[in-house]
Amino acid sequence: MVEREAHLKRLMIAGLSGDAAAWRALLTELKGPLAVFFRQRMGGREADVEDLIQETLIAVHAKRATYDPALPFTAWAYAVARHKMIDAMRRQARRPTAPLEDAGEPAAAHTVEDGAVRRDLDRVLSLLPARQRQLIEDVRIGGFSMAEAAARNGVTEGAAKVSVHRGLKALMARMGANS
Amino acid sequence: MKTDDLIEALALGLEPARPARPSPLWLSLALLVAAAGVLAVLGPRSDLSEAVTGANFWLKAAYTVALSAAALWWLDRLGRPGASARRPALALAAVVALAAMAGAVELLRLPAELRLDDVLGWSWRECSLNILGATLASGPFVWLSARRLAPTRPALAGAALGTLSGGLAATAYGLHCPEATAAFVAVWYTLGVAAAAAVGAAVGRVALRW
Repeated sequence: MVEREAHLKRLMIAGLSGDAAAWRALLTELKGPLAVFFRQRMGGREADVEDLIQETLIAVHAKRATYDPALPFTAWAYAVARHKMIDAMRRQARRPTAPLEDAGEPAAAHTVEDGAVRRDLDRVLSLLPARQRQLIEDVRIGGFSMAEAAARNGVTEGAAKVSVHRGLKALMARMGANS
Repeated sequence: MKTDDLIEALALGLEPARPARPSPLWLSLALLVAAAGVLAVLGPRSDLSEAVTGANFWLKAAYTVALSAAALWWLDRLGRPGASARRPALALAAVVALAAMAGAVELLRLPAELRLDDVLGWSWRECSLNILGATLASGPFVWLSARRLAPTRPALAGAALGTLSGGLAATAYGLHCPEATAAFVAVWYTLGVAAAAAVGAAVGRVALRW
């Protein structure tokens, strides 16, 4: 434990001075402990755990200058993680989310034919890996059910759901960042 | 996005990070703007040139500067995830307790019939409100000074921001306010700064998100 703290702290201090390799190593080593931390507290919702890990890593990166080397690094990192978890819980409480399969198929009820829109859509979707892109096109544009789209792409229905959900989220984040 | 891609993206082009602390530049600006506001709106006390040669003027300033310094320390600790903010909070309480004691000793040494006047002075009605008003000038700059911090307790951090803004505003208000008794300062100055802290806590609760 003590050794681990010293090791992570060394990486953190190197990262603060601009050492990209140390920073990559630190963030990678944080993944596991963060997964344990969130899994214990989020009751096993894997998609949420993955989101929280990513949000925490982004916060660790964005707020790294607030780390005071006189204090333990792990206390700082877990305080950031706890803050992100509370933040996420508050957001969920304010804006209840329905599971994707209950949301109906509004996008499939009408097809997107307009050339300009279609071209924009292609450009946006091309940011995603091929399989994820195909899944999203099948479900949200092609009008296939989640089970059909999963079968067409040779993945399980659960994996397809998660992939579509994450893909859309990543796109929203990209669009949000650009606009 | 896969987590490993995210890590790759974050590490790419990493730059050295200057340690985050409340920015002295913005804080100096907060004090300057509050002082300019007090002088422009309320005007300097008529005996200002005389007063600066006496001890009372500087004792009052010492109190409000000490409040600001303790609040700055408090803010700095609250702005770091995982750091304990207990010692600066105790320091802040000690500063207020010291002023309260000075006021109490002053009152006890006065004949009973003069004590009420000593506390109320001639401007007790407006003192706290004026300090709260001057906080409107210092507050935004104090807020900007803390942008790089990462408070995990937003209401407390807001209170620290409010205390610091109020302390600087009260320091500036000393240029206008001719009151010189310890009891007056301990009651009405403290009340004005406490009101600023309460406003800060309310604002911080909703606005200090990251």
